Amino acid sequence: MEKASPGIDALILLMAMALTAACLAWPSLSPTIVLGASDRSLEQLVVEGERLWTQSPDPSNPVACATCHCDPAMTRGWAASFPKFKPLPPPHARVMTLLQANAEAVERHYRLADPLPAATAITAFLTARAAGTPISPGISAGQPVFAARMQALAGSVLRGKHLYTGRCGHCHQSFDLAPSATAFPRAEGGRPASLELFLEGHRPLQPPLAWDGQATADIMAYLMSQAAGRPIGHHTYQASTEGKEGS
Amino acid sequence: MIRVIFFAGLASLMVALVGPLDATAATVIMGTVKNEAGKPLPGLALLEKGEIHNNVWDRGTLVGADGRFRIELPEGGQYGLHVYSSGYIYSPEAVKVETEKTLEVKVTLDPEPIRGNTPVIEKAGFFPWEARQGKVTFVKVDVADPNGDLGPQVLALNAATGRAYAMNPPKRITDLKANFPNGIYQLEVDTSKAPINPRDWHFVVADHQCNTTDILSFPHEPKPQKVIGKR
Repeated sequence: MEKASPGIDALILLMAMALTAACLAWPSLSPTIVLGASDRSLEQLVVEGERLWTQSPDPSNPVACATCHCDPAMTRGWAASFPKFKPLPPPHARVMTLLQANAEAVERHYRLADPLPAATAITAFLTARAAGTPISPGISAGQPVFAARMQALAGSVLRGKHLYTGRCGHCHQSFDLAPSATAFPRAEGGRPASLELFLEGHRPLQPPLAWDGQATADIMAYLMSQAAGRPIGHHTYQASTEGKEGS
Repeated sequence: MIRVIFFAGLASLMVALVGPLDATAATVIMGTVKNEAGKPLPGLALLEKGEIHNNVWDRGTLVGADGRFRIELPEGGQYGLHVYSSGYIYSPEAVKVETEKTLEVKVTLDPEPIRGNTPVIEKAGFFPWEARQGKVTFVKVDVADPNGDLGPQVLALNAATGRAYAMNPPKRITDLKANFPNGIYQLEVDTSKAPINPRDWHFVVADHQCNTTDILSFPHEPKPQKVIGKR
């Protein structure tokens, strides 16, 4: 067996340190959510999301989300049904996370140059509205279930499993991690944080993921498939990690 | 006499038993269209066959003054139901219709808050193709959208045949999320068997932001678009 050169040893050591740092950055393993300042920020994020849901930021085009989706009973189950197949015009129809779907809608309806902040706030609002609803990817209460859409979602989950195994599985068991993935968006240090954006910045040694990309949706589809049946919402995250915080 | 009554009874029984087996139940989507206050709304109900927003338009019908519509389908399956009424934002909904069953839906439409961004159908007309006189007629509409985000929903309904169409844009566009141009949208209609009756044709346009024109029906003379106002 050939002996590695000192330069390669050092490189491997550096990579291992970077990998460890990246793994430790995963939010479920460093449960830093503390009631108080950040909780108020989450509340503000939800309030901002509700405002954007009910009022268009463009006075010249006052059609807002709530103009058409005005029945809270109808939208209450939305957050728990994502990721799911979004029937956008071909070739854009694909499995999307709630944030991605909101960003697409915000960009199209509100014509914002950067749809991410508004979409994150609206996602926080819809997730708060859905708090406690059992996670059921692809299925919304009272809506028909389409076989083709469920097949597309199953394909996304499978791709997500492979991606997760390659990118995340070295450090994180998906079943342990899935509950924390249900608690986004949230406020971190007063700033809105989404799991999509976290995944974009995580694992810098691997090819980057785009927050609005298919691969990100696939990983989240896989994680949510592991969390199916659990209640969605921020409080769930806190409850599910209470036992781990002291360990 | 007893024998006559017996055979008559037997015949009635056979008719009663065989009758329902011969009758094939229709595959139907029907529904009611109202505003938030419960007022019935007339308009159009148009169907995409397959996944909603795929722009494969199939069938359609007029929604009556009582807000009721009924569309009979050749087969069950997945459809995209779009309902339009003048002054209201259109409603899209993915539906699943079971073969030989009737799906009943309730549609509630919300008024357009303002009409400043709403596309306008400026003209509509029917033009026989000179080279194929009597065999092909072009159905054309001239569409303008003040905020320039027209989409593929430049739609026509032939109420006599129950066919719904997406009209062809002035230039070929493959990305249905792209902004479609203002200008003349057209359809090529086979009129070799029967001429076009303009009274059968109805038009509606919705842009990417769901701003929806008033429905343009015969005599196809555009009027100022309705403002329903806030609920």
